[in-house]
Amino acid sequence: MSNLKRLPSKGMLLYFAICTLAMVWPGALIANRIDPIIMGLPFFIFWYVAWVFVMFIGLIITYRQEGQEATDDE
Amino acid sequence: MSDSILITAMTVGYLGIVLLVGLRARQGQSSSLEGYVAGGRHMGLLVLFFILGAEVFSAFAFLGAPGWAYSKGAPAIYIVAYLTLAVIVWWLIAPHISRLGRLHGFLTQAEFLSACYPTPRNVLGLVIGVISVLAMIPYLTIQIAGAGMLFEAATSGMIPFWLGSLLACGVVAAYVYASGLQGIGWTNLLQGLMMVVIAWALGLTTAEQFFGGVGEMFQQIKSEAPEYLTMPGAGGMGWGAFSTAILVSALGCVMWPHIFMKFYSARSERTLKRVFILYPLYSYLLVPLLIIGFAGVVLLKDTPLDSPDKVLLTIVVELADLPAWVIGLALSGALAAAMSTAANLAHTSATILVRDIAQFHPTLRDWPEQKALSFTRYGVVAISLAAYLLALANPGSLVSLLLGAYGIIVQLLPMLLGALFWRRASQTAAFIGLTVGSVVTLYLQFGGTAPFDWHPGFCGLVVNTALFVAISLVRKGSGSRSPVESLSTSV
Repeated sequence: MSNLKRLPSKGMLLYFAICTLAMVWPGALIANRIDPIIMGLPFFIFWYVAWVFVMFIGLIITYRQEGQEATDDE
Repeated sequence: MSDSILITAMTVGYLGIVLLVGLRARQGQSSSLEGYVAGGRHMGLLVLFFILGAEVFSAFAFLGAPGWAYSKGAPAIYIVAYLTLAVIVWWLIAPHISRLGRLHGFLTQAEFLSACYPTPRNVLGLVIGVISVLAMIPYLTIQIAGAGMLFEAATSGMIPFWLGSLLACGVVAAYVYASGLQGIGWTNLLQGLMMVVIAWALGLTTAEQFFGGVGEMFQQIKSEAPEYLTMPGAGGMGWGAFSTAILVSALGCVMWPHIFMKFYSARSERTLKRVFILYPLYSYLLVPLLIIGFAGVVLLKDTPLDSPDKVLLTIVVELADLPAWVIGLALSGALAAAMSTAANLAHTSATILVRDIAQFHPTLRDWPEQKALSFTRYGVVAISLAAYLLALANPGSLVSLLLGAYGIIVQLLPMLLGALFWRRASQTAAFIGLTVGSVVTLYLQFGGTAPFDWHPGFCGLVVNTALFVAISLVRKGSGSRSPVESLSTSV
């Protein structure tokens, strides 16, 4: 029976907390404007598109970290 | 008229291909219940990725999401936000669900929770099963009705609503009946690719054709209606409502039975995590669909639509100067979104109907496997038929039933987290939290006014969690093991 404590590292939990805050109040307040228009998108929309990518990178890092520790599945 | 014939022919041809792929998936499959319901717990990265994508991207992606952008503007981005954040919750929970499911043979969500919180005669399992089905049948009905509406609009009425929804529903029921989760997997892969390609093609074409590009489109909205591009949007959605809608949807997403139960089907925990890494990218599918909705802000300024959900259809079918074959493809893509979700809902509801409701009592558990499998298959047909009839009748209370039942399902999250991670989690506390949280949610949903304009489900979760934690801490003795740990040692 593997243990149940297998959580992402503290650093990564902080990373995901920041991602969450960036997408809701109050974090998203700083992005609430139209300019600059980036990649054709108003800044508020672009903000979310960018954070999706930040999440994606964070998940890759977490996966690699966990891969070094856990070898008990698969 | 000849355009309608071409569009109809293309779409029917597309449905034929989906049906063929779905039926062929049956080959080489063992005829076990676990195979039918959970793909033998052997689903790999690619198929599972598209299944989870298909489940979340429903008819809403092509109808409701552009409708939000068109009628409200910027707040529509909440969909992208919650789909991305939902992955954090999945990452923490899903590997445990997957492992414990394999260990104890769980196939449904109710089984998992009722094993962690045992009740006399499995009452908890029955209650969860009934509420799940009450949430999923209206959801399925909305997909089938969406398919009928898409057909009717894209063929200019040549295929009427009743026939369009019957075709979509019939195809789904046929391949789910025959091939179970394998059929869903391969058709969802096909439909997922269709959706992505078509959504981007339509979004970019719309912006290009009417404005000369996406950037130019937003420049024009900025000069004509800038309120659509920032919070609180044109409909005046406040930060409280926006943020809590994102949080409750991200947290609650995992509790949808058709999503939760897919975690059982993964080949391994690492496979699940690989799916989740890629998952946020799926939400980019919404960007072009939102762009079409935003285009409507300018294009339909003088003739506003009564029903914002029709904005994509109106622009693509009526305003844009697109050849008929493109409209045929667009219709197929939108149908893909509706039908791929419908297949999962029918499959999951039938499983719950048999396993959690018909077999709820412990003495009914030992049905022979083939009997349970046959009943699950009949369940798929019965539920699809019921949803089709409901789509025709279109009772006004359908959305209320969906919101109410799903509101209660979300309230199961704190007790699930408690079961997995908290040694002091007390069963009594979990039930009190669940009950009060559900009552608060239902009251705010259908009567009261939520404080700070918060989402009713979010208020319910706050009260639920507070009670669960406080009462668990007060009760002495509970605790050297979390409910899940006790479960594992009792085997």
